[in-house]
Amino acid sequence: MLELTLQTMPFLLEGFLNTILISLAAISLGSFVGLVLGLGRTVGPKPVQNIIGLYVHLVRATPFLVQIYIVYYVLPTTKLSIFDFSNFMAAVIALTIYTSSYTAEIVRGSLEAVPKGQWEAAAAVGMKMRQRLLNVILPQAWKLTLPPLAGVYVLVIKGTSILTVIGVVELMRQGEDAIHRHPAHIMWILFLVASLYFIYCFPILRGIKYMEKKIAAKGARSVAGDAQW
Amino acid sequence: MADGTAQNDVLVKVEGLSKIFKTADGRTINALTNVNTFVDRGEVVAIIGPSGSGKSTLLRTMNGLETISEGHIHIDGIDLADKKTDMNALRADVGMVFQHFNLFQHKTSLENITLPQTLVRKRTKAEADQIAMDLLRQLGLDHLANNYPSQLSGGQQQRIAIARALAMQPKLMLFDEATSALDPEMVGEVLDLIKGLATDGMTMCLVTHEMNFAREVCDRVIFMDAGELVETGKPAEFFAKPSTDRAHQFLDKVL
Repeated sequence: MLELTLQTMPFLLEGFLNTILISLAAISLGSFVGLVLGLGRTVGPKPVQNIIGLYVHLVRATPFLVQIYIVYYVLPTTKLSIFDFSNFMAAVIALTIYTSSYTAEIVRGSLEAVPKGQWEAAAAVGMKMRQRLLNVILPQAWKLTLPPLAGVYVLVIKGTSILTVIGVVELMRQGEDAIHRHPAHIMWILFLVASLYFIYCFPILRGIKYMEKKIAAKGARSVAGDAQW
Repeated sequence: MADGTAQNDVLVKVEGLSKIFKTADGRTINALTNVNTFVDRGEVVAIIGPSGSGKSTLLRTMNGLETISEGHIHIDGIDLADKKTDMNALRADVGMVFQHFNLFQHKTSLENITLPQTLVRKRTKAEADQIAMDLLRQLGLDHLANNYPSQLSGGQQQRIAIARALAMQPKLMLFDEATSALDPEMVGEVLDLIKGLATDGMTMCLVTHEMNFAREVCDRVIFMDAGELVETGKPAEFFAKPSTDRAHQFLDKVL
């Protein structure tokens, strides 16, 4: 068992590295896009709100597997050169879209969770919309986004395992290859694969728990000092 | 005036103001119907009436927290119904005090008073701090400068909120039931502060349930019912002998 582990581990780690790269890219890009979309959906003009709403619902109400097929197989059939991606790129794009849709809803929910009185007070002293958001609303809203965001990030990380269908060399793909070579040890190999996912995801879930506790402990002082937007 | 008419110095002029809300199920509610009134510079006006009478809506249209469906409000000559009016610039000159204080929860007392000054009035931090600390000292709250709102009593929070508005040096102060959410023992400290502002000549509109305060401090009372301005007059006359049945019935209930 030890020999098998030592033998397959480098191979799995090679995939794991891509899993990390793809998920980090998708999480950072998707979070940024999601933040913009969430803001647009909350304070943008009505037509913009509706368009973003449509996007969010379309993405959230269709399986990720279908989305990755569309990005990788359907878009290139348009013969437009911008859709001419590698499978790695397609993976990042599809996961970014996926992440952004969930993030947008989380951002919207958090903005709306800030009491109406805070919005009104910021408006009543003459702040422009941008000033209200940056100085009053976002500093109070962002900590509300952390727990649900952590959940989405973990979903995204685990979701990278689906990328095996477009041949991206990631952890699950490498695991499958290892299983083909050592079919007798399917249990052990899957255990190793699952362990690596766990090692990646668990600290994120724990880290958020820790931050939540810290924020709660600071109470009203919250993050006043360090949240300079 | 050039045309020879004796003109009061009108700061707020409300003409033919109507406000129509649409509910989620498509019904329309007339929150305000054809309201005409004015506030002179230096005048203190109490807006009273039963709940749902539109008094808060009237107040909130005066700084654009509610949009105007029909009619006009002019504040110092600026038309609030005009789409081109810079509402943020106007609001900087109109202080608003809310029932639930609405202090910025993530800021200290001092920061609550300085933030609008630096962002909107473009004062330096030093200037803003100076003005804020002077106000806090006047109100006897300087020892709470570094406390967060959640560490303050309701009365303290409301006085900080008033200081936040005053620091902008507004032309007009609006009070939306400023003492309604306070414990009884804290009402006095807030009313005393407002009384002081009246003495200093601040122009104010107050939506209030404090009838004694309205009688003592205000120059004029506006009585509203069902979205209409029913009656207006000097407090002494209005409270002693209202001229409409609706006002009479209301006063019977609350006095």
